[in-house]
Amino acid sequence: MLVLSRRIGESIVIGDDVVVTVLEIRGDVVRVGVDAPREVQVRRQELLTEVAEANRGAASPAPDAVAGLSRLISGTRKRPDGGD
Amino acid sequence: MTREHAADPDVPVLEMVRPMIGFPDHRRFALTRLDEAGALCALQSLDEPGLSFVVVPPDAFFEDYRPEVDDAVGADLGIESTGDLLTLVVLTLGESLAETTANLLAPVLVNHRTRRGGQVLLDDPDLPIRAPVAP
Repeated sequence: MLVLSRRIGESIVIGDDVVVTVLEIRGDVVRVGVDAPREVQVRRQELLTEVAEANRGAASPAPDAVAGLSRLISGTRKRPDGGD
Repeated sequence: MTREHAADPDVPVLEMVRPMIGFPDHRRFALTRLDEAGALCALQSLDEPGLSFVVVPPDAFFEDYRPEVDDAVGADLGIESTGDLLTLVVLTLGESLAETTANLLAPVLVNHRTRRGGQVLLDDPDLPIRAPVAP
Protein backbone atom coordinates (compact mmCIF):
# COMPACT_ATOMS: atom_id res chain seq x y z
CA MET A 1 0.00 0.00 0.00
CA LEU A 2 1.21 3.44 -0.90
CA VAL A 3 1.23 5.68 2.16
CA LEU A 4 1.24 9.46 1.79
CA SER A 5 1.08 12.25 4.37
CA ARG A 6 -1.20 15.17 3.52
CA ARG A 7 -2.15 18.38 5.30
CA ILE A 8 -5.58 19.99 5.34
CA GLY A 9 -6.32 21.35 1.90
CA GLU A 10 -3.83 19.09 0.17
CA SER A 11 -4.90 16.47 -2.34
CA ILE A 12 -3.84 13.31 -4.04
CA VAL A 13 -4.66 12.48 -7.63
CA ILE A 14 -5.61 8.91 -8.58
CA GLY A 15 -5.33 8.12 -12.26
CA ASP A 16 -6.09 11.08 -14.51
CA ASP A 17 -9.24 12.42 -12.99
CA VAL A 18 -9.90 11.32 -9.43
CA VAL A 19 -8.86 13.90 -6.83
CA VAL A 20 -9.10 13.21 -3.09
CA THR A 21 -8.70 16.24 -0.84
CA VAL A 22 -8.33 16.34 2.93
CA LEU A 23 -10.88 18.90 4.09
CA GLU A 24 -10.88 18.69 7.85
CA ILE A 25 -9.34 16.72 10.68
CA ARG A 26 -11.17 16.58 13.98
CA GLY A 27 -10.04 14.04 16.54
CA ASP A 28 -10.02 10.66 14.86
CA VAL A 29 -12.29 11.74 12.01
CA VAL A 30 -10.89 12.89 8.69
CA ARG A 31 -13.26 14.52 6.22
CA VAL A 32 -12.24 14.00 2.64
CA GLY A 33 -13.66 15.35 -0.57
CA VAL A 34 -13.64 13.23 -3.71
CA ASP A 35 -13.82 14.67 -7.20
CA ALA A 36 -14.38 11.88 -9.68
CA PRO A 37 -16.04 11.42 -13.05
CA ARG A 38 -19.67 10.38 -13.02
CA GLU A 39 -18.91 6.79 -14.02
CA VAL A 40 -16.60 6.26 -11.03
CA GLN A 41 -18.64 5.09 -8.06
CA VAL A 42 -17.40 6.33 -4.69
CA ARG A 43 -18.78 4.31 -1.80
CA ARG A 44 -18.01 3.68 1.85
CA GLN A 45 -16.18 0.39 2.08
CA GLU A 46 -17.85 -0.90 5.26
CA LEU A 47 -21.29 -0.36 3.75
CA LEU A 48 -20.32 -2.30 0.65
CA THR A 49 -19.10 -5.13 2.87
CA GLU A 50 -22.30 -5.12 4.91
CA VAL A 51 -24.54 -5.11 1.85
CA ALA A 52 -22.52 -7.92 0.26
CA GLU A 53 -23.04 -9.95 3.44
CA ALA A 54 -26.75 -9.16 3.46
CA ASN A 55 -26.99 -10.20 -0.20
CA ARG A 56 -25.26 -13.49 0.52
CA GLY A 57 -27.77 -14.09 3.33
CA ALA A 58 -30.67 -13.19 1.05
CA ALA A 59 -29.51 -15.22 -1.95
CA SER A 60 -31.33 -18.34 -3.08
CA PRO A 61 -33.90 -18.79 -0.32
CA ALA A 62 -35.47 -22.22 0.14
CA PRO A 63 -38.56 -22.74 -2.08
CA ASP A 64 -40.61 -23.59 1.02
CA ALA A 65 -39.74 -20.24 2.60
CA VAL A 66 -40.67 -18.39 -0.59
CA ALA A 67 -44.00 -20.19 -0.86
CA GLY A 68 -44.77 -19.50 2.79
CA LEU A 69 -43.96 -15.82 2.47
CA SER A 70 -46.05 -15.57 -0.66
CA ARG A 71 -49.06 -17.01 1.18
CA LEU A 72 -48.55 -14.67 4.13
CA ILE A 73 -48.26 -11.60 1.96
CA SER A 74 -51.30 -12.34 -0.17
CA GLY A 75 -53.17 -12.75 3.13
CA THR A 76 -51.99 -9.47 4.63
CA ARG A 77 -52.30 -7.36 1.48
CA LYS A 78 -56.08 -7.52 1.29
CA ARG A 79 -57.07 -3.95 2.15
CA PRO A 80 -60.35 -2.07 1.81
CA ASP A 81 -58.85 0.19 -0.87
CA GLY A 82 -57.29 -2.68 -2.80
CA GLY A 83 -59.31 -2.20 -5.93
CA ASP A 84 -57.24 -4.40 -8.20
CA MET B 1 -37.59 -19.62 -9.48
CA THR B 2 -36.95 -22.28 -12.09
CA ARG B 3 -35.18 -22.65 -15.38
CA GLU B 4 -38.46 -22.66 -17.27
CA HIS B 5 -38.91 -19.05 -16.30
CA ALA B 6 -35.47 -18.19 -17.50
CA ALA B 7 -36.20 -19.72 -20.89
CA ASP B 8 -39.58 -18.03 -21.25
CA PRO B 9 -39.37 -15.34 -23.94
CA ASP B 10 -42.07 -13.31 -22.14
CA VAL B 11 -40.01 -12.97 -18.99
CA PRO B 12 -38.12 -9.70 -18.91
CA VAL B 13 -34.40 -10.21 -18.87
CA LEU B 14 -32.60 -7.47 -16.98
CA GLU B 15 -29.10 -6.35 -17.68
CA MET B 16 -27.67 -5.46 -14.30
CA VAL B 17 -25.45 -2.52 -15.23
CA ARG B 18 -24.77 -2.19 -11.52
CA PRO B 19 -24.58 -5.79 -10.35
CA MET B 20 -25.82 -7.10 -7.04
CA ILE B 21 -23.19 -6.03 -4.53
CA GLY B 22 -20.89 -8.97 -3.86
CA PHE B 23 -21.97 -10.69 -7.08
CA PRO B 24 -20.08 -8.71 -9.71
CA ASP B 25 -20.04 -11.48 -12.33
CA HIS B 26 -23.82 -11.89 -12.53
CA ARG B 27 -25.12 -9.43 -15.08
CA ARG B 28 -28.24 -11.04 -16.54
CA PHE B 29 -31.29 -11.76 -14.43
CA ALA B 30 -34.85 -12.78 -15.20
CA LEU B 31 -37.46 -10.88 -13.22
CA THR B 32 -40.43 -13.12 -12.51
CA ARG B 33 -43.54 -12.81 -10.38
CA LEU B 34 -43.92 -15.26 -7.54
CA ASP B 35 -47.58 -14.61 -6.86
CA GLU B 36 -50.57 -13.47 -8.86
CA ALA B 37 -50.75 -10.08 -7.20
CA GLY B 38 -47.19 -9.36 -8.28
CA ALA B 39 -46.16 -8.45 -4.78
CA LEU B 40 -43.29 -10.89 -4.60
CA CYS B 41 -40.83 -11.19 -7.43
CA ALA B 42 -37.74 -13.25 -8.04
CA LEU B 43 -34.53 -12.08 -9.60
CA GLN B 44 -33.14 -15.23 -11.12
CA SER B 45 -29.58 -15.25 -12.40
CA LEU B 46 -29.27 -16.45 -15.98
CA ASP B 47 -25.54 -16.95 -15.52
CA GLU B 48 -25.98 -19.31 -12.56
CA PRO B 49 -29.40 -20.98 -12.31
CA GLY B 50 -28.98 -21.66 -8.59
CA LEU B 51 -28.71 -17.97 -7.71
CA SER B 52 -31.84 -15.98 -7.03
CA PHE B 53 -33.10 -13.15 -4.87
CA VAL B 54 -36.60 -12.39 -3.65
CA VAL B 55 -37.48 -8.77 -4.30
CA VAL B 56 -40.60 -6.76 -3.65
CA PRO B 57 -41.89 -3.28 -4.39
CA PRO B 58 -41.39 -1.48 -1.08
CA ASP B 59 -44.68 0.44 -0.93
CA ALA B 60 -46.61 -2.48 0.59
CA PHE B 61 -44.32 -2.42 3.63
CA PHE B 62 -42.58 0.95 3.72
CA GLU B 63 -45.01 3.62 2.61
CA ASP B 64 -42.66 6.54 3.18
CA TYR B 65 -39.68 4.99 1.46
CA ARG B 66 -38.65 7.18 -1.45
CA PRO B 67 -35.06 6.53 -2.43
CA GLU B 68 -33.37 9.41 -4.19
CA VAL B 69 -31.70 8.43 -7.42
CA ASP B 70 -28.73 10.52 -8.38
CA ASP B 71 -27.96 11.55 -11.93
CA ALA B 72 -25.22 8.97 -12.40
CA VAL B 73 -27.58 6.11 -11.59
CA GLY B 74 -30.27 7.60 -13.80
CA ALA B 75 -27.83 7.82 -16.68
CA ASP B 76 -26.59 4.26 -16.16
CA LEU B 77 -30.14 2.95 -16.28
CA GLY B 78 -31.24 5.28 -19.09
CA ILE B 79 -33.95 6.88 -16.95
CA GLU B 80 -35.76 9.60 -18.89
CA SER B 81 -38.79 10.05 -16.67
CA THR B 82 -39.82 8.83 -13.25
CA GLY B 83 -42.32 6.55 -14.97
CA ASP B 84 -39.42 4.45 -16.25
CA LEU B 85 -38.32 3.53 -12.77
CA LEU B 86 -39.32 0.46 -10.81
CA THR B 87 -37.98 0.28 -7.24
CA LEU B 88 -37.55 -3.08 -5.57
CA VAL B 89 -36.03 -4.07 -2.24
CA VAL B 90 -34.20 -7.32 -1.55
CA LEU B 91 -35.78 -9.52 1.10
CA THR B 92 -33.91 -11.82 3.45
CA LEU B 93 -36.42 -14.53 4.32
CA GLY B 94 -36.67 -15.64 7.91
CA GLU B 95 -38.61 -18.45 9.50
CA SER B 96 -41.65 -16.19 9.58
CA LEU B 97 -42.75 -12.80 8.32
CA ALA B 98 -41.60 -11.37 11.66
CA GLU B 99 -38.04 -12.48 10.91
CA THR B 100 -38.06 -11.36 7.29
CA THR B 101 -36.12 -8.19 6.53
CA ALA B 102 -35.72 -5.81 3.62
CA ASN B 103 -32.60 -3.97 2.53
CA LEU B 104 -33.55 -0.29 2.31
CA LEU B 105 -29.97 0.96 1.97
CA ALA B 106 -29.35 -0.81 -1.31
CA PRO B 107 -32.53 -1.11 -3.41
CA VAL B 108 -32.64 -2.70 -6.83
CA LEU B 109 -33.66 -0.08 -9.35
CA VAL B 110 -35.00 -1.17 -12.72
CA ASN B 111 -35.79 0.80 -15.83
CA HIS B 112 -38.62 -1.30 -17.19
CA ARG B 113 -38.39 0.45 -20.56
CA THR B 114 -34.70 -0.25 -21.22
CA ARG B 115 -34.63 -3.32 -18.95
CA ARG B 116 -31.49 -2.11 -17.33
CA GLY B 117 -31.17 -2.47 -13.61
CA GLY B 118 -28.80 -2.23 -10.74
CA GLN B 119 -28.41 -2.47 -7.01
CA VAL B 120 -27.65 1.00 -5.79
CA LEU B 121 -25.99 1.85 -2.50
CA LEU B 122 -27.83 4.97 -1.39
CA ASP B 123 -26.00 7.89 0.16
CA ASP B 124 -27.93 7.75 3.42
CA PRO B 125 -26.21 5.75 6.16
CA ASP B 126 -29.37 5.99 8.32
CA LEU B 127 -31.25 3.62 6.03
CA PRO B 128 -31.26 0.08 7.44
CA ILE B 129 -29.86 -2.94 5.61
CA ARG B 130 -32.15 -5.23 7.59
CA ALA B 131 -35.49 -3.50 8.13
CA PRO B 132 -38.20 -5.82 9.51
CA VAL B 133 -41.08 -6.02 7.04
CA ALA B 134 -43.65 -6.82 9.71
CA PRO B 135 -44.97 -3.72 11.51
